[in-house]
Amino acid sequence: MSGTNQRRDWVMLAYRVPREPSTPRIALWRRLKRLGVAHLADGLVALPADAKTREQLEWVAEEVVEAGGEAMLWIAQPATANEERTLAARMAEAVAADYGAVIAAARAAEAKDVTVRRRTLARLRRSLLAISQRDHFPPPEREVAREAVERLSGSVELAL
Amino acid sequence: MIWATRAHCHVDRAACAWLIQRCIDSDAQFVFVDDPDEVPSDATPFDMRNVDLGHHDGDCSFETILRRFELDDGVLWDIAAIVHEADLAEERHDAPEARGLDVLVRGLSMTHDDVGLLVLTNELFDGLYEFKQRARLLGRDPA
Repeated sequence: MSGTNQRRDWVMLAYRVPREPSTPRIALWRRLKRLGVAHLADGLVALPADAKTREQLEWVAEEVVEAGGEAMLWIAQPATANEERTLAARMAEAVAADYGAVIAAARAAEAKDVTVRRRTLARLRRSLLAISQRDHFPPPEREVAREAVERLSGSVELAL
Repeated sequence: MIWATRAHCHVDRAACAWLIQRCIDSDAQFVFVDDPDEVPSDATPFDMRNVDLGHHDGDCSFETILRRFELDDGVLWDIAAIVHEADLAEERHDAPEARGLDVLVRGLSMTHDDVGLLVLTNELFDGLYEFKQRARLLGRDPA
């Protein structure tokens, strides 16, 4: 999300899955959510392209085909830098909300007893890891969330 | 036999290559391709799209190979859980080693080509196997 006009490649997955059965549809939806894709339209998602994201969407495409659907992968660029910035900002906003939930939970836990703090800490660390895996354009909230979790960690250690 | 996979190996492919050499074909030769069309006709492809030894029904390629070749060694399934989480990070298994393994293999893939990488990851997975085998015998992590 830098200020340059340098555009990057995106890997795009165009897909269609049968409405029934619903289990593979739900599995697919969960996987796309975990990957942090941008939804461009019905059945069209995108990620900034690198070796990892490309491979991830290749496997999703395979999953779609196994579920009796159709999938096609494209490498593409938004036509203007502005469109790319808009897309990146939207993706950053989505993960910022997830980081926000971590920040709130970490702060709320500080007032609780040490057992609760320790359990919350473990859960929030897992959450941070999961969010980082779908965070393609880190928002400022990432650092705030990390600091909040580290502070909670410090308060657990002090109580030992 | 000749085995083919995509170039620029990461954790699932490196684990598959180790598994193939250790349990299926000790003389395995590997070729690395950039495009599925480049797979030689006499090679068995793995961890690629549209091949039998790939991701299927939620399994990563390592798990698929274990199933296809009926390798029912529990230690290998312990490793499969780690590889699955390192590759897909789904939290389907409790495998705290996964993140570390993913980072190590990614790092080695930056400093080595595929052939050099597999030499090192073979050592890594041999050690992991030994550890997990002892853990099973002891019922806890070995000291």
